[in-house]
Formats: sequence, structure tokens, C-alpha cells
Amino acid sequence: MFKVGPLRKRQVLGGIIGSILGGAMFYIFTLDTTEEYVSIGPMNTGHESLSCFACHADAKGNLMQQVQSNVSHAFGARDIGVDFGTQDVTVNNCLECHDRPNDRHPTHRFSEPRFKEAVSHIDATTCITCHTEHEEERVSVASIDYCMNCHQDLDVENDPLDISHKTLIAKEAWFTCIQCHDFHGNHKYEVPEKLSDTIPMESIQRYFDGGEDPYGSVKKYIALSQEDWLKALENK
Amino acid sequence: MKAIYKITLLLTFSILTSCGGVPEEKTKSIGAENTFSVEEVLEMVARENDVTRTLYTKAIVGKGKKQGMKFDEDWRKDDVEAGPLPALFLRGVATSIRKSSVPLGLYLGSDFPVNAANKFEGKQAELFEHIKKDQKAQFFYDEDQKLHTAMFADLASAGACVTCHNDHPQTTKSDWKLGDVMGATTWQYPKDSLSYKETVAVLNSYAKGTVDIYMEYLDEINAFEKSEKPQIGDKWPAEGNYLPTAEVFLDSVKKLSSYETMKRLVVVK
Repeated sequence: MFKVGPLRKRQVLGGIIGSILGGAMFYIFTLDTTEEYVSIGPMNTGHESLSCFACHADAKGNLMQQVQSNVSHAFGARDIGVDFGTQDVTVNNCLECHDRPNDRHPTHRFSEPRFKEAVSHIDATTCITCHTEHEEERVSVASIDYCMNCHQDLDVENDPLDISHKTLIAKEAWFTCIQCHDFHGNHKYEVPEKLSDTIPMESIQRYFDGGEDPYGSVKKYIALSQEDWLKALENK
Repeated sequence: MKAIYKITLLLTFSILTSCGGVPEEKTKSIGAENTFSVEEVLEMVARENDVTRTLYTKAIVGKGKKQGMKFDEDWRKDDVEAGPLPALFLRGVATSIRKSSVPLGLYLGSDFPVNAANKFEGKQAELFEHIKKDQKAQFFYDEDQKLHTAMFADLASAGACVTCHNDHPQTTKSDWKLGDVMGATTWQYPKDSLSYKETVAVLNSYAKGTVDIYMEYLDEINAFEKSEKPQIGDKWPAEGNYLPTAEVFLDSVKKLSSYETMKRLVVVK
């Protein structure tokens, strides 16, 4: 069908080799066994055994349909574009395994307008603000003084702590909060009455980085494993 | 060579269009014209909320306390054997709504909250001042979140509201009276008008939220180890150490609120 001149031979050969290689790479890198090579980084603590599809669900339609839909959208022939390859990961993906009734700071609460100012400092409406995935750690929040955005007026009646909460707030010692209170309140941890007995920051940082849990191993809620999550989906 | 480009272009175009694209989700189906404004729908669901909360506060918390039942802000803690206080009952409903597919947000706040972190700020604080004066609903469009927002007065409708808030160790105001505007509920929805089906979905998500949190309370009672468990059936705490089932509770809410809601739903403008 195509006439290939002798001077173009190398170009055509290169094109064919490129297409074959491209096709082979596409095939190999979409296999389940090669997921770790495609991943942008190692999974966070507790997520090591998850498969990509647990968060990255296939987008609607096949690749050709997705290309066509987005081209149509680009030319104004379609109102809304579509996800390409996989769907965007949202808070709802996280909540499918981590949602629990006793979360002290559930993401949805921060959608209320009065948190506008606080959310401009730390976006608590989404999990990834503090738990960026593919970082091989537990918590990735930039600074642990985030309590100051909402709890400036805290005054604990009959404060049991030797240095009162009010004093700590006046001194802007916001980093001390985490030494007793984990953000989601998921640990059954007996808080000490002396500030000197609280969990040292080094231990907290190690925990954030994926190390041992300084609040203890007793938790109110254990997130679903991939297996349990799939079972829950089947029962829906 | 030009022929090759043309053929390649034609081939690419035909391959791209031949598969038909990803089906578009229809935003409107036939016969689903938007019937209600978002303000009307939020007024309807807020009215259902008033009835539900008053019933829970008066008939469950108020009468239940007289029977020795306990209600606590730490009711979810393992070592606390109690039921949810009315504000936490509402938060439970809100959590359940967020889990549904209905994009409705529900929050409760005040200018004198028990928990200082629940104090109104910004636009909400400004509008709450108006609500305190005339108890009329306030509406605004939240530009940042692109959400239609409504605020409704939350009144001290039962003696239990007044006594609990006045006596609470963390209270920031201890002279609440019956009928006072203690706070306001804030509701949010993304669309400016709703179809009949969407309106019913909003009302249903609220009702389901009520059942969900009430069921959680009954499950909590079921797990009581030290406290006496009230008998759960068709009787109410006013008659003794009883609690209604979730169905009986919801039936009572419907009886009290259905006429108003039905009237609004059936009136074709």
C-alpha cells in the first residue's frame, strides 16, 4: 500500500520497532505483576499489600472511547471530559476502608463555611493534606501545629494537666497537643497528667515516618484490609 | 506523501469516532424537570429536622433521664454506657447523609457553643445575628465551595436543652431559657433547583440518617454491661424504662411532620 523509498527505509524500520516496543511496554506495564515498577513511589505504612486498583479504579469506557470523549470535549462537542485510564482518587476511596463513626475530625465536617479560614491554612477536607500516598510513611503533614487553627479558645474545666492547656496555648506550644491527642482519636490512650510524661516528639516523628506506634497498639477501629474491602463491596 | 498524511488522518479520525466515546451521563431525564428551588427543599428538610430533634430531645432524652437513662457527649467511648445527646444525634444524622449519594451537608453551631471549636465564624456568625433577632431562615451562596447554603434557628424546645447546657461544666453561657435561639443548623446543597425525585432523595437521606444514628444508639444499649437496659419495642420512656424501635421512632416523626412536607410536595406551582 505504501511506497517506501530506499532513503526512508531506516525511518520506517525505526517506526515499526518503536511501535512493537511501545506495544510490548504497554502490555508488560499493565500486568498486575509489574505494578511496583509503574507506581510513583513505595506505598505508605499499612498500605504495602494493596493493589493499584484498590485506589485507582479503571475509568469508564475503553482507552479509545476516553480519547474520543476528551477530544470531543476539547472541541466543544461534549459538555464534560472523562477520566483517562483510571479514575481520580478521592476522599471517598480512603473512606471505603477508613470511615468510622468515632472519628474526632472527619473530613466532611470541615466543609462547613466557618472553617474557611482554617481550611485556607490546612485543608482538612481531604486526607492527602496529611497523608500523601506513595511516600513510604504514615503522616506527611508539613507542620504539627495545626490545632491552632481551631482550638485557640480552648479552656479545659478542672484541667488535669500540670501545665494547663490554657498556658500551653498562651505560649503557642501547639506541638505539644499531639503528645497526648492523635488527630483522629483512634487510640485508646490514657493521657498522662504531667507534661513531662507525655510522648516525646522524637517518638511521634518516628511514628509519622512509619515506625512504632507510641500511643500503644489498642485502637478503636482497624481499617479494612483489601480482602475485607472487596467483601464489603460484594455485599453492597 | 500528501496522500499518506490524508489517509493517516482519515484513518485516525475514523478509528477515534467509530467506538462512540464514553456515554454521557444525562443530567436530566424525561419528566424530571426541576420543581423546587433549593431554598424550598432546605426549608422542608429543616422542618423535618426540627420535628425529629424535638421528639428525640423531649420524648427520648428528657423523659428517658427521668427513667434513669443516661446521655453523654462521650457516649461512643467503650467505658461510657449512655446515649447520644441531641447535638450529637444531629451530627450522627449528618454523618449518615454524607455517606449517602445525596450531596447534602448538615452542620450545627452556635455563638455560645459548649465546645469552643463549634463557634460560628465569618458569614455564618454575621447571619446568625439576624437569626437571633427574628428567627427567620437565612440563605446565601458560598462562592468558595459553590454551594447553596441555608441557616435555620435551633431553638431551646425542651427543658432538657436548657438544663443540660446551663449546667454543663464547659458551658460559655449559663442563663439559657426555653425558646431561646441556642444555635443554628447550616445546610448546603450544590444545585439551585431540584427535581421532584431529587427532593424526595434529600428527605429520604435525612430520614435514613435518623434511623442510622438511632440504630447506633440501640446497638450501644445492646452492648451495655453494667447499666440496666431499657426494653425496646413500641413503648416510649414516658411509660417506663422503655425505648421505641427505630421504626416506631421514625413513624412518630412522619406523623408529626408529614402533613407539612406532603402539602409542599404536592402543591404544583
